[in-house]
Amino acid sequence: MKMVIVNGRHESDFIIKKFKKDKHHLIVINKDKDFAEYTSNNNQIPVLCEDASKAYTLSDAGVEDADVLIALSGDDIENYVTCITAKKIFNVKRVVSLVQNPKRVDLFKQLGIDSVICSTYLLGESIKNESIIETFTKKLSLENDKIMVAEALIGDDYNIANKQIKDITFPPAVNISCIYREPEVIIPNGSSTIKPGDKLIIVSSPENQETIINFINKKVDENE
Amino acid sequence: MKNKNKILVVGSGRLGASIAADLSAKGKDVIIIDKNGESFRKLDDEFGGYDLIGDATDLTVLENEALIKEVNEVIVTTDSDNVNLFISHICFFVYDVPEVYVRLNDVDKGKLIENTTIRAIYPFNLSFEDYLETRKERD
Repeated sequence: MKMVIVNGRHESDFIIKKFKKDKHHLIVINKDKDFAEYTSNNNQIPVLCEDASKAYTLSDAGVEDADVLIALSGDDIENYVTCITAKKIFNVKRVVSLVQNPKRVDLFKQLGIDSVICSTYLLGESIKNESIIETFTKKLSLENDKIMVAEALIGDDYNIANKQIKDITFPPAVNISCIYREPEVIIPNGSSTIKPGDKLIIVSSPENQETIINFINKKVDENE
Repeated sequence: MKNKNKILVVGSGRLGASIAADLSAKGKDVIIIDKNGESFRKLDDEFGGYDLIGDATDLTVLENEALIKEVNEVIVTTDSDNVNLFISHICFFVYDVPEVYVRLNDVDKGKLIENTTIRAIYPFNLSFEDYLETRKERD
């Protein structure tokens, strides 16, 4: 895999170490002269010391057709321009940007950055996910939040417990992909029965996830 | 639906301030925004528009203070090409502003506004053309 790592300090060093072992083709650009020298010596790798938000730098570095570029500078807008230049002019397949300002996560995605990483935003999301732990153990999102995967633990008093899947009227756009019943994994069909203690793995779109969570968590004595 | 009749100038340097003053003198409804209040000293005393201290890369500021949804034309003239490009992309892709002008010192950045209606002003090209023109006159 051809991978371009731009700016950053410890993050950059960490990623270089991690991927160098696996013999990926790494291109490293860092405009901080001292750090460029340090990381170059430390990892025995050439480091181009230039401003990567300029097209000629990316051209000199030979990033054309790279599989991924990761922009790690502390300046959000510089990361944006580096990523967009790599994608539009140099045909880099996937661009990843670090941002400091959590309000920019959705904006950057809207403007064409494939993946946007913000530690404050991640912290917020993980707190949000932790807070629904009581009913739902885990949530996971794939493809930039387009697919949601959730894991639900079925309680004794759940409305859908001890029923066959075909007898349950699920909300639309839900897929029970698998049932984990210690120690086996069941790929369910209509005649499978959901039992208390089962863990359901549910795949849905993000818009429907709330509805599904509410539906599954419904207790026996609650009205439809 | 509100009418889009305002013009927003981003950056109150010499270029931004001159454009804002010119448009204001022509009776346009002009808002000029700059991060630094001192910059408005460059504005003509006659300037009749609205000067706003704020960061135009912040969507909240753009929407609530610079009234971007009522803006028909944006001229982006800060001293950073990266900031200018980013703001012009936000105006075009997020807020569908019909007329967007952006000053870019780096001609290479022009490729990043291809397939949009954003129009670039390149000081490099203008100086170079001016030089060629002047030399032609001399010969």
